[in-house]
Amino acid sequence: MANSKFVATVSPHLHERGQTISRGMTDVLVALTPIAIWGIIVFGFNAFYVMAVSIITAMLSEVVMRWIMGRKATLVDMSAFLSGLFLALILPVTTPLWVVAIGAFLAVGVGKELFGGLGKNIFNPALFGRVALMISPLWLYTTKFVKPFYWKASGFFTPIHASINNAVAGRVTYKGITGKVYVDVVTHATPMSLLKSGRMLSATVTGPTPVGATYITGAGRPSFWSMFFGLKSGCIGEVSVFLLIIGACWLLYRKTIDWRIPAGVLGGALLIFLVTWNNPLYQMVGGGLWLGAFYMATDWVTSPMTRRTKWIYGIGIGVTVALIRLISPLPEGVAIAILNWNVITLLLDRYVAEPKFGEVKKPLFNKLPAIAKAPKPAQGKT
Amino acid sequence: MSKQGYKTFKGGIHPPYNKELASGKAITQVPIPSELVIPLNQHIGAPNSPLVSPGERVTVGQKIGETDAFVSAPVHASVAGTVKAVEDIKNFTGQIVKSVIIEADPQQPAFEAKQTKPLAELSADEIRQIAREAGLTGMGGAAFPTHVKLTPPKDKPVDTVIINACECEPFLTCDHRLMLERPSDLVEGLKLFIKAVGAEKGIVGIEANKMDAVEKVRSAASAETTIEVEILDVKYPEGSEKQLISAVTGRKVPPGKLPSEVGCLVQNVGTAIALFEAASTGKPLYERVLTVTGQGIKEPSNFLVKVGTPISALIDAAGGLTGGPAKLIMGGPMTGWAQEEPTASVVKGTSGVLALPAELVDVREEHACVRCTKCVEACPMYLMPNYIVEAAQKEDWRKAELWGAVDCFECGCCSYTCPAYIPHVSYVRKAKAEIAAMKKR
Repeated sequence: MANSKFVATVSPHLHERGQTISRGMTDVLVALTPIAIWGIIVFGFNAFYVMAVSIITAMLSEVVMRWIMGRKATLVDMSAFLSGLFLALILPVTTPLWVVAIGAFLAVGVGKELFGGLGKNIFNPALFGRVALMISPLWLYTTKFVKPFYWKASGFFTPIHASINNAVAGRVTYKGITGKVYVDVVTHATPMSLLKSGRMLSATVTGPTPVGATYITGAGRPSFWSMFFGLKSGCIGEVSVFLLIIGACWLLYRKTIDWRIPAGVLGGALLIFLVTWNNPLYQMVGGGLWLGAFYMATDWVTSPMTRRTKWIYGIGIGVTVALIRLISPLPEGVAIAILNWNVITLLLDRYVAEPKFGEVKKPLFNKLPAIAKAPKPAQGKT
Repeated sequence: MSKQGYKTFKGGIHPPYNKELASGKAITQVPIPSELVIPLNQHIGAPNSPLVSPGERVTVGQKIGETDAFVSAPVHASVAGTVKAVEDIKNFTGQIVKSVIIEADPQQPAFEAKQTKPLAELSADEIRQIAREAGLTGMGGAAFPTHVKLTPPKDKPVDTVIINACECEPFLTCDHRLMLERPSDLVEGLKLFIKAVGAEKGIVGIEANKMDAVEKVRSAASAETTIEVEILDVKYPEGSEKQLISAVTGRKVPPGKLPSEVGCLVQNVGTAIALFEAASTGKPLYERVLTVTGQGIKEPSNFLVKVGTPISALIDAAGGLTGGPAKLIMGGPMTGWAQEEPTASVVKGTSGVLALPAELVDVREEHACVRCTKCVEACPMYLMPNYIVEAAQKEDWRKAELWGAVDCFECGCCSYTCPAYIPHVSYVRKAKAEIAAMKKR
């Protein structure tokens, strides 16, 4: 026994038990499960189809892209699964499944694998896929929002296109192109677009009263509490702020995410909403702010590494979201804000200096050490 | 203040300690092996040249290697016997070092204590001289010559001597045992250190998982007004020099500077006791206490071991290996050196021999960094370990220096907590060597 060879590696020789990449991914998955289930409850079984197609396509794209590039398969780290689920959660339930598949490929195949795989991607893959769809000719397919529990009229398992076809009120032909005109039951405005249009056009939504709609206030918008608990129209996973917070608590408890980033995002957005006094509390529970703050902005790969830079990054996203909502013509801007700051992340890490242990003075910007131009004064022992 | 309620530093990790394996075992002697290999270079600094040649007789404590350089420590024979050879032999880090092979006599005489001055009459210079002559080095692992540390620059007076009794490395218990069994020797050694640098007070920093040692040292030092015991959080690397100074005194040693910059001197428990022995009996540093432990060892023990004893003899003395251990480590599990074979010999800086079973050896293929920030949070020097690795992979050594490769002391917290299993320390070592070469050019 004493003569057999032992394993020789560089120190340290211990590793934190269970501390693997897939552990972090599984934590996020656990946190997202109630949100995904709530999405299916609110938006019918079609939400499940969207998730399934998105996840399967995401995983397939990873396998195929890595195979083409001659890299080892890395499905076990769960990141493709997670990106697929994330993409589904930020799409409306009406998105045709083939559009979902294209989005999932753009997210994982292009947004992640073409950049070099997990760890090398600059953009959050799911957001990359979502915004790629948003700025493509397919954008029309991703903007039809339904009101919560729309399926009460058509049935829980009724395919979405049947629901939509039933809701077609008529057809309009303009310059040879025929378009469908839907009743409000299907293309329901989100609270954010209502807030936007309500502010900009000072008009409220007209149309048939939604089924069982005690959640609508006089202005045609859901109340604060129905927004908070998830009785509103929107993307599959963004509607219930309550469940998002519960999942976030799990992630914070597991130390999978850093509290500074979500605190910065929410704080930065709240600050702007308070300063401009534009329905601050209502804005805070609307749209994808919480999903973005706790689940998207905290993405390991695309967020900065030090305490300072995390604050800058978080607050930056929050402020950008608020400005997009208030100034730009878009009703919602969490995805775009996070993608913007994903790019800035690399600059933040490189140039915003964090003092080392015992370092008293630190230059504002991280400068590369000079090489051999002037001999440095001797520093301690060699 | 921390969760545990004691003083500590920022960053660090909480590995499983496994101290209970050996902490209850009293220090015992190991049988002297028939052949010892004593490397002539056991310290950081200038290499020694041999003073003996093959065939020569040596006695216990005879000087066998020395050099005139200031930053160095002489080496002494640990047994009486005959020099068999002086040749180049691989040491525990894999370096080739000139070593003296001694064939031990079957009958070993006891070390003859020399007449010495009473401790109270020794001057600072005499204490430094004693430390140098006895070949004292730091016994926590780095093995920096003690008399050099005792000679701080004139313009940087030292007011506080800190005894590093944290023993923050998991598994190891030798310092713990020394404090339990020889607390008064430790206090005497600390008093010598205080005198040598003209300090005002001495502090023994002990982690909170060794409360019995705290009590022992406190009662041994009860008569001393200048010595106090500070209880510290159980956290790795509490016993790193800079982190310990910051925890105990709140002072922070600037990057690239020595502890004397903030008026501190840090010494290890074993070194303090060795200085006391050298000053009171003239005994040089040729044996030390170390822990042979790990789940792969049948009877984990604390041994008093002659320098030059091969690891295999220690394993045999501890009942042998059990269950086919996967890894054999010289030193602690966080900073020690993995051995392919149990052939290397014990040196002054060896604090333990560790056999880890397969279930504790978690060696995996390295994944690309996912920037999870765990290394940055764990780093006790507030560096950017993942960026050092990235720079080293791209061979951009200026970047590696920017991210702090030079300030890294290789504690291994980053790799311990890395979900991507990146061996940061090996990249850092490469970067350090390249940066040093770049500076020379």
